Amino acid sequence: MIDKILYLIAEGFRSLWRARLTAVASITAIGVSMSFVGFGVVIGQNFSDLIEFARSQYRFEVFFSPLMSDSEAELIVKNIRKIERVKSARLITKLEASEIFESEFGENIYDLLQENPLPASCVVKLEEEGEERLRVEPIIRRIRSMQDVTDVRYQGRIISLVERYYQGFFSLVTALAVVVLLGTVLLISNTIRLTIYSRRDLIRILKLVGATNRFIRFPFLVEGVIEGILGALLACVVTYGFVRGGNYFLSLFISYRLIWDMKVVAILVVVVVFFAIAGSMRSVRKFLV
Amino acid sequence: MIKFEDVTCRFVSGSGIEEASFEVGPGEFVCIIGPTGAGKTTLLRLIYMDIFPEKGKVKVAEFSSVKIKRRRIPYLRRKVGMVFQEFELLEDRSVYENVAIPLHVIGLNIKEIRPRVTNVLEELGISDKSHHLPSELSGGEQQIVSLARAIVKEPIVVLADEPTGNLDPAASLKIIKLLEQINSDGTAVLMATHNYSFVKDRGHRFIEIVEGRVTA
Repeated sequence: MIDKILYLIAEGFRSLWRARLTAVASITAIGVSMSFVGFGVVIGQNFSDLIEFARSQYRFEVFFSPLMSDSEAELIVKNIRKIERVKSARLITKLEASEIFESEFGENIYDLLQENPLPASCVVKLEEEGEERLRVEPIIRRIRSMQDVTDVRYQGRIISLVERYYQGFFSLVTALAVVVLLGTVLLISNTIRLTIYSRRDLIRILKLVGATNRFIRFPFLVEGVIEGILGALLACVVTYGFVRGGNYFLSLFISYRLIWDMKVVAILVVVVVFFAIAGSMRSVRKFLV
Repeated sequence: MIKFEDVTCRFVSGSGIEEASFEVGPGEFVCIIGPTGAGKTTLLRLIYMDIFPEKGKVKVAEFSSVKIKRRRIPYLRRKVGMVFQEFELLEDRSVYENVAIPLHVIGLNIKEIRPRVTNVLEELGISDKSHHLPSELSGGEQQIVSLARAIVKEPIVVLADEPTGNLDPAASLKIIKLLEQINSDGTAVLMATHNYSFVKDRGHRFIEIVEGRVTA
């Protein structure tokens, strides 16, 4: 059995070598088409990081009634923390508010008014992660409805702008990814089909000498996986070049740099190998009937 | 060993086999004769179950055309050696590799494969060409390689479909003599040919097909 498996694996490599020109064409086709997927992944990932950064800047300031004590305010803050997608809520006591006043205006409020009329407040931050649109209005409404909350201040326009574009961008990237992936699947499938078509004589002869379908399929599978891995690695090199080139271009205008994540390599290899196996199986089946 | 029971297998073109019934026993040498298009190839294809009868039953050893499952067909073909007019060799593999293929299919290991291939090539007198590609051989030599590939797995029957069709008279005679040599070792041979003159005086049994009907 081991001899048979080793023979079949060796057959896969030998077939690849025998048809090396076709193999180079397949690997290039897979590499080029998968590069587009790679670009999409890199752009999507970087945009997502940018959105996360923007979201990390979202903050609401919630003001409580001036008559409320710090301990009463703390209870409301605890309730705010329980709201979904609220990452943190930090209480700013009346004393801290007076210190902020002093640091910003250079005057001590007690010296001016002989009392501290500044209310306790709290700073709310939201979760940054998540692909769906972050809706702040329901959170604001819920906070406003709490007793003794007098005001909520937030950068409503900026948040809605970022979230609206993010959603649009995400839909666009998803649609593009589906189109590119479908194209890639067709390309890989057709490339493999052409390779197999050129070896239909081999399949016929193997069938005549009593080879099982599994025996016939295995070398094609090995070949498909090798071509897939090499194609994916080629796509990784191209995508990495795209990141480096993109960074050089960006450096001329802004300080932002595209991030290269090894996850891209893993995604490309897994996707291509999966489709290479599926494509090989599908294409061989036609000649096995 | 091979039994046709009232077998009918027709094609859209009208050709095929009509109500054929005959038997071939172990170790027999049978020549299937008839003009081109008479149904000789159809008959052989029915034996290695490349096609199935629409009526009747074909039995080869323990395999029956009415009961066999598709996944069992390869196991039938391991018991049947096949030789074709067009040789059907893999052009990108050496003689040795071509002959070794059926043994890899069976699942023998290299230690068993090497002596068996070498012996068969020696037996058929072509061992000096074992590293050559088929394109470097004459037609007769290519057919001998095809024959070697058919018998290397020690089949119960060799089916030869017009094995001399593409060969000159000398090479044709050599192939027929080799088939007789194989048969003398106990392997049954079914040879389809339209060239009756080549086989008429060699003392073999004949099955004649005319327009799809077995007449003798």
